[in-house]
Amino acid sequence: MYRSAARRLLPALCRRTGHYARQPSPIRCSAPIIHSAAFSASAASEKPQNHKPHQFGSSSSSSSSEGGKPRTTARPKAHWQEEQARVLQASLRHVIRLGWGEAAMIAGAREVGVSPSIVGSFPRKEAALVEVCIFTFVLVLLHSMCTSVNVHILLCHGVGPRFLGFLFSYTILFFMDDCLQRLIDIIDMKEDLKCLIPSQRVAKLVRIRLEMQAPYISKWPQALSIQAQPSNISTSFKQRAMLVDEIWHAAVMRPLIWIDFQDTWAFLDERVSDAFDLQKTVKEAKYLAEAVGAGMGGSVQGLVKRLFQVEYLEG
Amino acid sequence: MALRSIYRGLRKSNFLSPLCNSCSHLHSHATSFGFKEVREEEKSQLVGNVFTSVASSYDVMNDLMSGGLHRLWKERLVSELNPFPGMKHLDVAGGTGLGEDKSLVWVEGDAEALKFEDDSMDGYTIAFGIRNVTHIEKALAEAHRVLKRGGRFLCLELSHVENPMFKQLYDYYSFSIIPALGELVAGDRESYQYLVESIRRFPSQEKFAAMIAEAGFQKVEYENLVEE
Repeated sequence: MYRSAARRLLPALCRRTGHYARQPSPIRCSAPIIHSAAFSASAASEKPQNHKPHQFGSSSSSSSSEGGKPRTTARPKAHWQEEQARVLQASLRHVIRLGWGEAAMIAGAREVGVSPSIVGSFPRKEAALVEVCIFTFVLVLLHSMCTSVNVHILLCHGVGPRFLGFLFSYTILFFMDDCLQRLIDIIDMKEDLKCLIPSQRVAKLVRIRLEMQAPYISKWPQALSIQAQPSNISTSFKQRAMLVDEIWHAAVMRPLIWIDFQDTWAFLDERVSDAFDLQKTVKEAKYLAEAVGAGMGGSVQGLVKRLFQVEYLEG
Repeated sequence: MALRSIYRGLRKSNFLSPLCNSCSHLHSHATSFGFKEVREEEKSQLVGNVFTSVASSYDVMNDLMSGGLHRLWKERLVSELNPFPGMKHLDVAGGTGLGEDKSLVWVEGDAEALKFEDDSMDGYTIAFGIRNVTHIEKALAEAHRVLKRGGRFLCLELSHVENPMFKQLYDYYSFSIIPALGELVAGDRESYQYLVESIRRFPSQEKFAAMIAEAGFQKVEYENLVEE
């Protein structure tokens, strides 16, 4: 939900700076639970609630393709997700005055002419605005990667090298996750897949998925190296597995048996954490000192490259 | 224990979708008084009589029947509502009415024909009341009418037990213990007989959610507070 709100913000940003604006994809009403499980990226994980609300009629996704632009005129039957996104967008303008919490969202709701009660229906409302901002920031970063805009123009002042590394990781993993979500939406909506035989379906879906990466192809080697980092490898492995699973399921309509792989993942997780936990503090201190020292004179990209190289060699 | 459910609906559209006018379960609700069949015009009078009779011991009986849990459920409903300063809120089937706050206004009315303006309320709650209205869809339509865009409808109600093991225990508790308690404490066995029967006759969670959606609400969800 907060991703769709962030996507709405982005075209406005992109229009101002003249960057490439990606076509917004149809909004998915309820994200599958496995989706959040795969992409935790060592950030705060969502605790599964004991009482999950049952969503009634939740399979409908918004069919409007103009969802990217904020609507100023009130449509009689605006989908609730659009309303929520509009409220969040408006709320960001009040953050400076009212902070990141509910007060800003209530003001935002009033601004767009919707009852502030709607705030009560937002999931994780304490973090809603922060999440929207993070997603927006991540999308901006992604856009910068597919154009020739140098990253350090966006993020040089006061951003530490470790945080930068984390940000790159988060962005790439987010991107992979987002592509999977968009693929699922496309699968759900595409009627003509039914006319094809399974092997043709696979080919078509793989092509669709690859096309999502096409704008970023010049920077793709960097993205791959980020995914291959020890701290990211099990997440990106799982994301790939989910992608294969999804394409397989859409093509063959039968579940793929992953039993063997469960053990592989568990093993992988353990080995990675074993190898790095104990030595982590010492190593981190070392990298930081080296990277900061070396980076003082160089560009941010050079700094990051150096940081990754050091990690990789010692891994 | 029974499943207590909270139903939430988000009021989005400015006009109402066509009401369901040929659903058999709605018709049967309008003519059912517990397990008895009555004429539609009579139902509201009969229900009124029940509540007049139980009013004096209503709170005590609620505590006894639910073991004090009803207070927790109501608190949960309020936290779900997430009230904000300056909120205009309507609570229907407010019961014994003990509030003394000046900002609290008591109005006697009919849930099927509310005296409030369109698009005037930020929130609408109804706790353990919706199953007592004669025409549920009319009450839902009225709720939809008085709520603003972005306003929320929340309903707390007693629901169906799926688990067969607990169903037996619950049935025994409902049909043997509660009417006896009613007789003992309130001096009125029949009213409590009606109350437990009306729980059984009320639509299931999925059906009721469908009715809420038909009234024009979006993002309809329900949550069972007591899962067995």
